[in-house]
Amino acid sequence: MIRFLTIMSSRWTRLVLVLLIVISLQTTLFTEMRPFGVAAQLVLLFVVVSGSINGSVIGALTGLIAGLMYDLILPTPVGLTSLALGLAGATAGLLIYFFHDPNWWMRLVAIGLVSLLGEVYYPLAQTIVGLDGWLQWRIVKVAIVVAVCNVILSPLAILVCRWTLAERKLQV
Amino acid sequence: MAVAESTRRRAIILLVLTSIILITLDLQNSSAVSGLRNIFGTIFRPVESTTRVVTRPISNAWHGVFDYNDVLDENDRLREKVAQQEGATIAAAASVRLAQELLALNGLPTLAGINAVTAQVIGDSPTNFSQTIEINQGTESGIRVGMPVLNAAGLIGKITKVYGDRSVVMLITDPDFALSVKVVNSPRQTTTTTIAKSNAAVPSPVVPVEPDASLETEASTTTTTTTTTTIAGFTPSVTTLPAVPSGVSSITVPLASDLAVRETGVIEGRGPSRQPTVRFISNAVRFGDIQVGVPIVTAGGSRSLSPPDILIGTVARVVERLGSAGPVLEIEPVADLTNLSFLRVLLYQPITEKVNP
Repeated sequence: MIRFLTIMSSRWTRLVLVLLIVISLQTTLFTEMRPFGVAAQLVLLFVVVSGSINGSVIGALTGLIAGLMYDLILPTPVGLTSLALGLAGATAGLLIYFFHDPNWWMRLVAIGLVSLLGEVYYPLAQTIVGLDGWLQWRIVKVAIVVAVCNVILSPLAILVCRWTLAERKLQV
Repeated sequence: MAVAESTRRRAIILLVLTSIILITLDLQNSSAVSGLRNIFGTIFRPVESTTRVVTRPISNAWHGVFDYNDVLDENDRLREKVAQQEGATIAAAASVRLAQELLALNGLPTLAGINAVTAQVIGDSPTNFSQTIEINQGTESGIRVGMPVLNAAGLIGKITKVYGDRSVVMLITDPDFALSVKVVNSPRQTTTTTIAKSNAAVPSPVVPVEPDASLETEASTTTTTTTTTTIAGFTPSVTTLPAVPSGVSSITVPLASDLAVRETGVIEGRGPSRQPTVRFISNAVRFGDIQVGVPIVTAGGSRSLSPPDILIGTVARVVERLGSAGPVLEIEPVADLTNLSFLRVLLYQPITEKVNP
């Protein structure tokens, strides 16, 4: 029983449950709200923020889990988003190492930059597995809009991400 | 701490390998991956439905703020269009019925004989790198992968994934979309004149004459005049005024160049910001120069996923290529793919795909 409660209260269980809500927000609200015709990428934001707060290992793990869940509702091959988001999470963790004791604006810059890169990873991955046609100049516009949206939404995402991935001791 | 770090690294390796295996399996259309999708869908759909209900006021407010003026402009444009098309619709419907009757009389397949399911669009693609939409009908309504999807204007895509009560439609602008099509090059508008000699022993020559040519040729000939009547938006019909020389039968043959010439190719999507293209068009002389604005329709055939003669779009630009390679045509789809609401899924499967009971 205690083992079950430990698993249920772990941050990874919490992560899966929060990701369900994040993905549902992505497929509903953020699919309809398209500034300049581009859908903001909430899942990518969550992964990038987790990487920038907790480092590259946690970022990569969050990206891989989030990507796998997201893949199961996308029409593209399962595993593709997982690899792209895993890489984005790891990049966010690595980038933040360049800043010693990063303050809030450094974190925002890092989130914007990695969001920009993360949005390019996906069409790159598509091309690698043979789904050609997405590497176009349109990517530049898409990546910039996604990066700006993510920077705007990042304060809220940081709060949610901190709460989700915080390690807590189970009080029995 | 070091143990936890090592466990995490192992988890990363495991997840990366799992992802690669899943990509491989999914590209091979593995049923295990489809099962996994279905299970996750069962868990995820209630969460998504709840989120949709909760966030609807926010998305409505967003559309109210950012799309209000566009909707007003579009409304004005559409009213004008409706007024323009109201008169033509009745005549067009009569023409379509007539064409379908003729096709049926000749035992040719028509769209009227294919059952269809009406569906509503319930979601767009959540990513920026996939041109798909989701509709609210699935296998329970008889929908199968590959079936063509239309709106009132024409073909918009095909079914790529089907679940019990919903399906995913790949739009014609998706780079993975490909379908065989026909390019119907428009005939020139001319007047043809048929002249039949009154001498029965000599075979009746059929001589096409250009519009400006004189109708009176010789005193010993009988003249039959064929005029091509053109009504805006309709296929020209031919009216024949027969001459009545005794013992002579005359036939009317339009100029070969006046017949609509058809050539097949393959339409391929190129993403949302670029128009789809038609490739593999033959560079044959008899096909002539392709004009901007000529219609592109589905080719049909026993292996095609779509029945013939569904309108897809019109030629927006002809890109000529050097050598014997035929031109590449950029297509303006007739359907507005950014604003889809109600769709029709044709329950059509080619003979090669039909499963025998």
